[in-house]
Amino acid sequence: MIKPEPPPRKEYLQQQKETHGRHLFGVFPAQYPREILWALNVLPVEIWDPPLEVSHANAHLQPYICSVVKQGLELILQGKCDDLDGFLFPHTCDSIQNLASIVNDYLGLDKPCYFFYHPKAPYRASSRQYYIEQLKLFVSRLEKQLGPMEPAQLQHRVSQGQKMAALIRELYNLRANRGLRASNAHFYQAIRYTEYLHPDDLIPLLEGFLADSKGESGGGRAVILSGVLPNPPELLTLLDDQGVRVADDDLLSCSRRFLMPPSQAEDPFEALTEGYFGMPPCTTKDSPVSERLDYLLQKIDRTGAKGIIFYVVKFCEPELFDIPQVVEELKKRGVVTLIIDTELHQGLSGQLKTRVEAFVEMIR
Amino acid sequence: MPIAKTLRYQFMKDLGAPALMRFAQTGKKRPRKKPNPHFGPPLKSAERLKEIMTRHYYLSRFAEGAKPIAWVTSGAPVELLRPFGFYTIYPENHGALCGAQKMAPELCAEAEEHGFHQDLCSYARTDLGHYFSRKTPAGKLPKPDLLFASNNICQTVVYWFKALARYLNIPLVLFDTPYNFEEITEIDISYMIRQFEEMIPVLEQASGQTFNYPKFQEIIRLARDSSLAWGEVLSTMKARPAPMTIFDAFIHLAPIVSLRGLPLTLDYYHLLLDELKERVAHGVGALKNEQKRLMWDNIAIWYKVRDYSNLFAEHDMNFVVATYTNAWAETTPYMDENRPLESMVKAYSLVILNNNLNHRLRLMERLIKEYHVDGLVIHSARSCKPYSVGQYDLKRLLMERLEVPSVVIEADITDSRAYSEEQTNTRLEAFFESME
Repeated sequence: MIKPEPPPRKEYLQQQKETHGRHLFGVFPAQYPREILWALNVLPVEIWDPPLEVSHANAHLQPYICSVVKQGLELILQGKCDDLDGFLFPHTCDSIQNLASIVNDYLGLDKPCYFFYHPKAPYRASSRQYYIEQLKLFVSRLEKQLGPMEPAQLQHRVSQGQKMAALIRELYNLRANRGLRASNAHFYQAIRYTEYLHPDDLIPLLEGFLADSKGESGGGRAVILSGVLPNPPELLTLLDDQGVRVADDDLLSCSRRFLMPPSQAEDPFEALTEGYFGMPPCTTKDSPVSERLDYLLQKIDRTGAKGIIFYVVKFCEPELFDIPQVVEELKKRGVVTLIIDTELHQGLSGQLKTRVEAFVEMIR
Repeated sequence: MPIAKTLRYQFMKDLGAPALMRFAQTGKKRPRKKPNPHFGPPLKSAERLKEIMTRHYYLSRFAEGAKPIAWVTSGAPVELLRPFGFYTIYPENHGALCGAQKMAPELCAEAEEHGFHQDLCSYARTDLGHYFSRKTPAGKLPKPDLLFASNNICQTVVYWFKALARYLNIPLVLFDTPYNFEEITEIDISYMIRQFEEMIPVLEQASGQTFNYPKFQEIIRLARDSSLAWGEVLSTMKARPAPMTIFDAFIHLAPIVSLRGLPLTLDYYHLLLDELKERVAHGVGALKNEQKRLMWDNIAIWYKVRDYSNLFAEHDMNFVVATYTNAWAETTPYMDENRPLESMVKAYSLVILNNNLNHRLRLMERLIKEYHVDGLVIHSARSCKPYSVGQYDLKRLLMERLEVPSVVIEADITDSRAYSEEQTNTRLEAFFESME
């Protein structure tokens, strides 16, 4: 079994603070210029799915709000973010937008909260100009708290970001072409280290994982995962047990943020801008349905996958709106689809397990 | 546009539609309803409102082929479309109509059959249900040539319009408004102005007409004056007793939402304002015995407007203000024909739902004081996350700061299947008791 060996998250974060003097920022989903944070000696610690029982957050959020938002707020309310030095809320959806305002305006936390708005598609010349201006404004806001940013540091961290993206691209390419032996569970475990590891540690870890897991994968059928994030992780294990390989994904927390072409720009802000606009189509950026569909079809062609699992967090509007048209078109082309609409950390119920098994039978 | 269709549209607009509507009115025998003894005399202007809205929807079917047609979101800067002669339809307004006519659950079910999840916004599901079934209480809606959306009210409208754009194979023009997390920046303003500049050639191409700047300025003036008049209409409810209820305002809101920038909207609000001023001068209230004054937060529960109107009136409680109706009076008066693009940016990006929750808290505090509000009813709407997320904290903070009692109703704007009569009644009974 090829399993990436990570440092435990809590100890790692503490060590980052004590040994490297790094500021820790809690970052909510999904897209943000992590390189700018790295350049200011900030370690972004992403908050996607902390494994918590939700109790306090229910006093602030309605029952129809998704569990990514609820569990993120619960983490703050339970005091588990007390060691953090700030928060960053990218503008991902209506619920995260308002969560940002609840935290900033109503909770009375003694921590700075930052907000990052990225322009929405369809993109025009103004979108690109706005994005680059937003990056610079973000730097100047952070500098007020953290002191000036060294241009050389930004250049270095942008290079590291590109190196990280290149490694992830290679991992995905190998996976798509049966060139990676890692199980589904271990593959996503490795990808998810991007959520909190510093690039100085992340890059060697990804390199090690790549070196260890290169090699022909088993002969199982290929599927593609689409949705928000690979949670509940029991699905990955079940697919492993069924001999099914997740050959690629269209997950917001994974490939949608990393699989962009390399930038040739010398200016770091230009490079970050190229990176953002070069990312795959995404529901949270309002990408047209047809672009997403074309993108998924390319993945199917590339991997020979016979089916797609839409792995959606309950109440996630951006994902749920695209699904009917995407699924209709995929079905027309003979692609088998399965829609799983579930809360985080709910595991796989017997019924869900049966549905996955039936789906696997259909792609055999 | 084909000449025959243009002539037919013009004929129907000037002669046919008014004549047909007069004919329909004379032929109708309405059963007399027993008046609710708790209400004062009904608003006379309501008849004129009905004429305007009926004619708008009726005429829309003749607009197809005669005028470029746009479907527009309620927060989009429609003033930019008007100089190009677009006939505009507001799917949210249509959704409200379907909700009030209790047709929305059927249309939502149509959308659900096509894969749209029941957790999605019910305005969107109603509209998509209409797309699949063509069913509508308005008779028929014209097929759009263009979709025009702004995410200043929610991201949901963009997801929804994206789906429509693909089904209908037509362009979607988006006005992207950065969320006002703390305060709007020069960078945000420049971005939004540039977007307007980029849209003009797109609209010229879609409509086949060149941009007429003086006409645009006149439209901006009309829109601003209509919003100011709407604001004055709402302000009359500061009087005791208030001359109308917020349930009336939910209905009289239609022209400022969907016919903004047209002369008839301004004329209509002058008519309504005159009537309300007269009622205030003569002490005529919407309720005969207004004892308590309430505030409403969020979009209406369209299938419950009449029931709630009666229920609260029976408790001598009148809703005199709502954050929802106020939204079309709050920022549109910023519009200035001498700086049209820049002023439109402020008018549209600073709306309540694109603004942080501190802004909402301050706004509600001000309205509660200005309108002498005794209690607050908060509609937690499943369909509208930007309006609803944060309401629990708002309830707590308003109680702490102003000691205003409040109740949260968990419901939906048009899909009555998400409404629990029993749970709501229990909550409302407790609220009524707390108000005694």
